[in-house]
Amino acid sequence: MRGRSPEVLLFTGFAGIATTLFLAWNWAPSVSINAFESPAAQRIFYWHVPSAWAALIAFTVLFVGSTMWFFKRNSLGWKLHVAGSEAGLACGLMVVCSGCIWGSAEWGTPWDWSDVRLNSFGLLTLLAMFLVLGRKSQPDGVETRDTFSTFGMYGFVLVPLTYISTRIWQIRHPGPVGGPGAEGTIDGSMRFVVLFGALAFTLLIAGHMMMSMRITDMEQRLEQAQKKLDEG
Amino acid sequence: MDGMIYLSLAYIAMIAAIAIWTWTVVTRSRSIEARLAAVESTIGLSADEGDDVASQSVDE
Repeated sequence: MRGRSPEVLLFTGFAGIATTLFLAWNWAPSVSINAFESPAAQRIFYWHVPSAWAALIAFTVLFVGSTMWFFKRNSLGWKLHVAGSEAGLACGLMVVCSGCIWGSAEWGTPWDWSDVRLNSFGLLTLLAMFLVLGRKSQPDGVETRDTFSTFGMYGFVLVPLTYISTRIWQIRHPGPVGGPGAEGTIDGSMRFVVLFGALAFTLLIAGHMMMSMRITDMEQRLEQAQKKLDEG
Repeated sequence: MDGMIYLSLAYIAMIAAIAIWTWTVVTRSRSIEARLAAVESTIGLSADEGDDVASQSVDE
């Protein structure tokens, strides 16, 4: 944890994301103007899908960390919980914002309250927001950690629900174009940009989570030092 | 063409948001690291004495 690998991951991931956007803007092919209301807005997909992938990684880390803390009182588990909730919130907001931009351009409305995918993902993001803001407003202690870990564990049920939602209830959000249950396919160069973006977002989010774990560790050590100083 | 201008603005706003977030995290980490190094060298605390809450809950 003391090395510089989180910074390397962060800056590599960031450079990868910038490259993804350049490729998406400049290199990826355009979609048919007959198939979309707003063909240019479709390019937001190269941001939206990789950030959703990174969000699901972050929520999985949140679940693992919450479970490790709740059942084993494991210090690493709590650090994973903190890192997963912060990364989940950031990625969740990126997904929701980019989705709203696309929705406004393509559907004429940024949000559809009847769509299961939109609402389950929105709830996941709100859960991450509750965990991040709640933790900052509460004194650190076993009860606080137990409460937030419980939300981290049970909230994870929304992840598989989000994944299967467009496979079962296709209301407004487009169906899958890859993986099991996919209804369509995408062009090879489009797929390349999406996969490149997913790799870049994975590196960035891994760097952020490692950095967050390091910060949590240092904050705990500072608190210990403060107590020792207070005791004289 | 309007669509591409809006798309570019959205891309710039989103990458700027990620850049700010990343920069904030890195500077926060460096600032805590510097404070911690100063405090720990003064009172001689070791790195494995970190999580007080976890050690308390194990003691219980």
